[in-house]
Amino acid sequence: MTAQRPRNISRIAILTVAAIGLVAFTMGFYIFPARDSSGTLWQRMCRAAGFVRLPADYSTLVVPSTFTSVVVPHALLGVGAPDQIGHGATLALRCSVCHGARGLSGADAPNLAGQYAEVIYKQLLDYQRGARTNSVMNAMSSSLSEEDIRDLSFYYGHLPRQSHHEDLSSAPALIRVGDPMRNIPPCASCHGAHDGKDGAPELGGEPGTYLRQQLTSFADGTRKNDASADMRSVARHVSPSEMTAVINYYAENER
Amino acid sequence: MGVVINAQRLVLAHFWSAFVVFFGALLLGEWQMIVRSPLHAWVSIPEHYYRSVTGHGTALAYVFPTLIAMGFGYAITELALKQALIGLRWAWFAFGLVAIGALTTVTAIASGAASILYTFYPPLIGSPFYYIGIVLVVVGSWIWVALMAVNLHAWRKRNPGEPVPLAMYANVAGALLWAWTAVGAALEILLQILPVALRFKDTIDAGLARILFSWTLHAIVYFWLMPAYIAFYTIVPRAIGGRLYSDSMARLSFALFLVFAMPIGLHHLFADPQVGSGFKYVHSVFTAMVAIPTLLTVFTICASVEIAARLRGGRGVFGWLRALPWKNPAMLALTFSFVMLGFGGAGGLINMSYQLDSTVHNTQWVTGHFHLIFAGAIVIMYFVIAYDLWPHLTGRTLGKGSLIRLQLWLWFIGIMVMTVPWHISGLLGMPRRMAYFDYSNPAIAPQAWTVTAAVFGGGLLVASGALFLFLLVQGQRGPKVVLRPYRFSEPVHAVLTVPKALNGFAIWVTLMISLCLANYGVPIAQLLFTNTSVPAVFYSK
Repeated sequence: MTAQRPRNISRIAILTVAAIGLVAFTMGFYIFPARDSSGTLWQRMCRAAGFVRLPADYSTLVVPSTFTSVVVPHALLGVGAPDQIGHGATLALRCSVCHGARGLSGADAPNLAGQYAEVIYKQLLDYQRGARTNSVMNAMSSSLSEEDIRDLSFYYGHLPRQSHHEDLSSAPALIRVGDPMRNIPPCASCHGAHDGKDGAPELGGEPGTYLRQQLTSFADGTRKNDASADMRSVARHVSPSEMTAVINYYAENER
Repeated sequence: MGVVINAQRLVLAHFWSAFVVFFGALLLGEWQMIVRSPLHAWVSIPEHYYRSVTGHGTALAYVFPTLIAMGFGYAITELALKQALIGLRWAWFAFGLVAIGALTTVTAIASGAASILYTFYPPLIGSPFYYIGIVLVVVGSWIWVALMAVNLHAWRKRNPGEPVPLAMYANVAGALLWAWTAVGAALEILLQILPVALRFKDTIDAGLARILFSWTLHAIVYFWLMPAYIAFYTIVPRAIGGRLYSDSMARLSFALFLVFAMPIGLHHLFADPQVGSGFKYVHSVFTAMVAIPTLLTVFTICASVEIAARLRGGRGVFGWLRALPWKNPAMLALTFSFVMLGFGGAGGLINMSYQLDSTVHNTQWVTGHFHLIFAGAIVIMYFVIAYDLWPHLTGRTLGKGSLIRLQLWLWFIGIMVMTVPWHISGLLGMPRRMAYFDYSNPAIAPQAWTVTAAVFGGGLLVASGALFLFLLVQGQRGPKVVLRPYRFSEPVHAVLTVPKALNGFAIWVTLMISLCLANYGVPIAQLLFTNTSVPAVFYSK
């Protein structure tokens, strides 16, 4: 154990680690990319480092008008001030024919009383922009300002929701636990009872006819305003009998 | 003065709180096993399941091993350096921070405001109190790191040029490793997550957050491992009446852990698109390098055990195995630990391989792997540490050897019964982190037995954990005893001088930091300078 020994150990350590690093980097950034086939060698090496060049026409790629990117977090919208709710109530007079005087429809249109404000906000914006189509709603929403839409949402969100049970023990399996093997998450993990996700409506007490219409149009792809195609990919895998069971549960869950 | 522990109460406070947290989390783990097994009707509320998983993971990943490392570190400082702990008040302050942090975090989890699992999963954002609690735990542990460095420095000043006792060398290596590895998660929480959790921002770069977390995620495992390795080298050979085969080899292993534990975390992100394949490959190679200090350790410890056997009259190529003190808890635990380390290590080679990982990524295999290594190979050595130190901490005799052996056997069998089926179900494709399986589905039904087996394995673990706590309580109440001074294992050849590189950390820390920059620099910088943030998803009921 002479004085030279320490320097030797350090030198050996540095050289060994450097050699391992050299081999690893050469393999990862030269040998493997060289065996790849697309692009120049330099492009392949950049790709190995995580730098991907987007195609030249990337920024001009046309986004279809039916695509929606609207997701409004609950916290962003808040609950609205009294004057906003009041303004919304005035505007809502023209909605009452279908959606009921206090947000409870007698005409198989969705019940809006107590619905999350951000849900109504998103749907109205989507109707206005054509991301969701319905001849009545597209026309009704066309003249609304962004402020009108927000206040309407506050108003309906403010209306009392009639109580509904949160115990899911009698709910169909699809609502409680989903079906992981078919990539179907439990309905309840987004639509209430267990958990709510931004943009997902509370479904308890909605009219069965309306629910069936929407689930069917998600499944056949005619309704496309679910951000990231969440509902379309779920609804596609749901069998007719399961759909009926789910709809009956939510529709009977009277408010 | 000297080979007794002055800071007994401090060390006991750490160990007791660690093991109480451990037992609570153990119960949660078993509950999780039961409710998702075919033995029990599904609870129908996945949130409760994930709340429990978050509690289990957070307690066992951040609180329990940190408290063990800290308590053991304080004991080593006094026992190995033969000097009273410098900064006792600071140590209590650090303990207080860890305790307050742990309580804050546990409260946030229990209230259901942070069921986001211990790996955080941004853009999922839970209650700010969850993260603040974890920061407090980490800050407390950093004070411990500083105290370890200060104590070693003071000892060196008093003993210039002397070889640092092996236990302390390894202890400080562990402390330095933790100081550096915790930086990743600390940056993630302080700069990325907390501003969002406190609602100053509503977007987060999830890709960058995952890379920073991987910085911590893998090396933290070696931080958990350090006390177990210290026990391998400095407790077991003495406890079984042998000698350590090589002091230098031991130091080299700890030094190499410092170097290779850090720049390898991206192997957790093999399936993540934001990291280039070149860097994933490089991290894969360096992960493989961890095999070197591991195999050095296996070799050195097996040689040390053989020395013990031959000192006891063992003969022949394998005949010496019979001469080993199999009734000695340390011998038994070491054997179990090595068996589990062997299986777990072999599985780990699959996880770290860029190609093979794709077959088991995010399956139950991974859960099986880290339970086998951490809950198995490592925690069983935590038991040994506690058993070994307890009489010196309490001044009383510990309970019966037969009960201790029973406890270790139960733990070993429990871990094997639980984790082997998990590996099998992982190979069959069972995903991890699932709250529920529909066993009536014909595609899943054949895997049901693996979950049932895990329930029984978990049951043995709960029994073993309860017995362990019982033995510790009994040890606090046993008859008083006058002990011979505590000593660590002695090497075959007395350590008169040690190569300078293996008596300090400069070269190893330099290599550790350089490798981190080389292996993490580009992926982190790339995401720092491009805006790839996504909207945060606030976890709320």
